[in-house]
Amino acid sequence: MTPGDSRRTTTIPPVRTTVKAGFVVYSHNDPERKIVILEKGGLRAVDSSVTPRKELFRMRPGDLVGVAALLEREPFLYDLEATEMSDVTIVSEECMESELKNMPLWLLACIRDLSGQNRQRRESMRKPRMENSLKSLADFSKFLKKGKFYPMENLIQEYCWQTKAAVASTKEDLKALCRRRLLELQKQGDSLYITVPEPELLKLFVDYLDYQDQGKPWEPLRLNANQRKAVITLSAIKGDEAKDAPGWLSEFQKKGVELNVSDWIHLVGQGLFKEKDESHYSPVPERVQYFLLALRYETNLRGLL
Amino acid sequence: MKFSAGAFLCLEGDLASSLYIVKSGTLSGTSSKSNPAKPKVFEPGSIIGVSSLLENAPWDYTIRALEDCEIDVVNRESLDQALEKSPAWLNSIISFLIKRNHVSEENKRKSDLVQALPSLLYVFAKLLKERSDNTISIARLVQEANLINGTQEEEVRRLLRKLQDLKALKIQGDCMQVQSKELIPLLYETLRFRALERKVSPNILSMTDQMILTVFVKLSQRSKDPLRNGLSAISTADLKTETKKTMHGVTLTTRTMAALVENKILEPSSTLDFHAPIDQVEFFFGDFDHIMDLLELNRIFPLLDKKLVE
Repeated sequence: MTPGDSRRTTTIPPVRTTVKAGFVVYSHNDPERKIVILEKGGLRAVDSSVTPRKELFRMRPGDLVGVAALLEREPFLYDLEATEMSDVTIVSEECMESELKNMPLWLLACIRDLSGQNRQRRESMRKPRMENSLKSLADFSKFLKKGKFYPMENLIQEYCWQTKAAVASTKEDLKALCRRRLLELQKQGDSLYITVPEPELLKLFVDYLDYQDQGKPWEPLRLNANQRKAVITLSAIKGDEAKDAPGWLSEFQKKGVELNVSDWIHLVGQGLFKEKDESHYSPVPERVQYFLLALRYETNLRGLL
Repeated sequence: MKFSAGAFLCLEGDLASSLYIVKSGTLSGTSSKSNPAKPKVFEPGSIIGVSSLLENAPWDYTIRALEDCEIDVVNRESLDQALEKSPAWLNSIISFLIKRNHVSEENKRKSDLVQALPSLLYVFAKLLKERSDNTISIARLVQEANLINGTQEEEVRRLLRKLQDLKALKIQGDCMQVQSKELIPLLYETLRFRALERKVSPNILSMTDQMILTVFVKLSQRSKDPLRNGLSAISTADLKTETKKTMHGVTLTTRTMAALVENKILEPSSTLDFHAPIDQVEFFFGDFDHIMDLLELNRIFPLLDKKLVE
């Protein structure tokens, strides 16, 4: 890249001045924004809004203040006064602008980038870190005791403390979980309580959202009609029953479920069966229950109630 | 300069010799320190490598073009020339900005770690409750802490190492083990109470209470008497004698026992009359395991805040 450009204008030099002890170099009331660089002597930052005035920090030669005020338009919150005879350089807004106009555009962009990085970090420190707040609240709630009455306000407060989520958005997420009947809102006297009808459903919902976030379909809800029937049939079969693949296909057929080889391979692939020996398979009860619960509460999970 | 889709702009750890300004196209940056599932995206207007070039530091990311890109390259020579032409005060400002970014980066790292602790302890406590043994898989903890709070694996591992340093748990390969299942829930509850009630939790005991409980534990360990309804029982006479010995002549009175009795940590064998001598009570009962957990909590809790930001 060619560093030169045609914006060169006259620069306004910074003001170099000597101040006596006690002189206020920069006041929080000052309408002009500036950067103060201490060349010699000493300065101290004082909070004048409290009585008695409180010293916040001291500056040594080479230190500077006011960058956030000048570059990021942040308020200057304290007064800066000399503790001894001091030499200071004051970079005013006009001086900075005239210098920025004279530097290559890319260097200007670099300074803005450096300045912006700090602001972005400070902003991100105040924000919640989870990507999906509904999934986060569902995961938090899945650990709650089934049927226990939790005071709603306390629960929201605890969750917000853990995650830095805003109370208003947490209430919206709570409503979304209640709409799906994954949580229930109960009123007792003047107080509202949250109960969890079935923590397992919240676990399923977290998995469902997790797949959605990854842009992948969630397998339990992708099964075709015959595969769904097979899951329901399997739920009534003992976990230790073992058969080979044709044996299972004919077992399903006997129970009125028309399953083809592709369906069978799919169900095995979903972990609904485990291989007991070379050609015999037995159902995996926990996996079957997981799929069954997902099918039974499909509308809750999809939010189609 | 044109970069084709798939081409690498820089590799993490290599020394930066240029900085790049994206004019068109998108690039993706991955780092060993960040979540690989969430690469950093550089779009038109992004500047890549300012800090690395200005500080002679290695690249933080491996950056690859996701599509054909047009990028302006500024080499070290151009940068040095431009800085030489700039007034000294501007260079001071640039140095200040770089230094401030390091401070804010470190502050963010610490803040993220401090902020990750409550949800980690919450999940940890809940998972322990579900288990019949005292062992939890680190992978499970990472998964849950990430789901609730977006906590990264490296942060979970660092927090676990800090808790291990405080002897709150032991990391064994891919798992961690706790001595007592109640300590982590107690730690979480104490933190929660402090944060939300803005008061010192009743689990945090005074020095006197801690010393009395330490005496109680010592006598319980020495005692050959069987537990009474799962509780240790120590005679008031023994408690008085041992307290005097351990606490440099302190005499045990109903007043000194008041807080422990009110908080139901120790129970008197008969109603405690605060105006009568302590000898009116024959025994004091207490849940030995719970008292041990409380003493552990009181040892760990004051060290926790400092340990987190170390």
